Amino acid sequence: MKKTVIISFLLLFSVGVFSQKNNDTIIANNAQNLRLKVFYFHITNRCNTCFSIEKYVRQTIDNNFANQLELGIVDLYILNCELPENRDLVKKYDAYGATLALTSYSNGKEEKSEDLTGWAFKKVHEPNIFISELKAKIEESIK
Amino acid sequence: MKSKSFCVLIGIISLLFISSCTNSQNKSGEPEKTDTMAQTEVVNPDTVTSVDTTGQPMDKPKQELSKVLIYNFHVTNRCVSCIAIEEATTKTLKTYFAAELRQGRIKQYILNVDDDANSKVAEKYQAFGSGLYVTRIFKGKETTTDLTGDGFKFAKNKEEKFIEILKNKISEYLK
Repeated sequence: MKKTVIISFLLLFSVGVFSQKNNDTIIANNAQNLRLKVFYFHITNRCNTCFSIEKYVRQTIDNNFANQLELGIVDLYILNCELPENRDLVKKYDAYGATLALTSYSNGKEEKSEDLTGWAFKKVHEPNIFISELKAKIEESIK
Repeated sequence: MKSKSFCVLIGIISLLFISSCTNSQNKSGEPEKTDTMAQTEVVNPDTVTSVDTTGQPMDKPKQELSKVLIYNFHVTNRCVSCIAIEEATTKTLKTYFAAELRQGRIKQYILNVDDDANSKVAEKYQAFGSGLYVTRIFKGKETTTDLTGDGFKFAKNKEEKFIEILKNKISEYLK
């Protein structure tokens, strides 16, 4: 009985330690309408700054582009770059740690990508500026 | 007989020892610099003067060299990425720029932005959390590159890429 309890405990512990939970967010509603994909990659053990960037990206989209998100004009991807299922996208975007990127589309084809990581880390401590500038960048991409 | 030979042997060894001690002093009587002293000697990069083969100073003006300052800012409770950035920065400097560090041409500052003593420099760089800034100082002019984004993207999971970016930036700034 005692052995069974110990083995069960060890199994539960190892599952907790070695498995990485997938908390990714993917909102992609209509590929035909797609004009912009917003990517934010992060690692498993995140810091406050990384959480803040995600929060402001979400706020920017939720408060200004909710309609476009619903119609599939804007897609949102919040991805853990350390999960094996995201390996290809990580390689494509050179996203081995916190990375913010915008990729524009036209007629179903990928046009250009912009890496905003440096910008995001610079502006994250001024939320209002972060949100207004990201809003302008997204508007420019989907106009 | 045996003790006589022993005394002669001791005498010869003593003479050799005294002779070697005398040779270790130069003509002025001052001891020569040891290797350790030579290694720790700091050259002021601002005052490097060219000399010709006769050892006479040439007419060329003093050549001013750029300096590079590396700032690793962090908060008190550090995350893995922040620690990885500092470790990879230090690794880059020790691997590729050890001479420049010794000469004082490159300086690395690891500063806690939560410490009041660092508030002025943190404000100057607008560093409110983790940050990596490389500053070139040449002829009184400062140029800074913010590598924070690259640090967070690469330092933890793609260290070699981060090191390459930082190395290239420092090399560019040393020119």
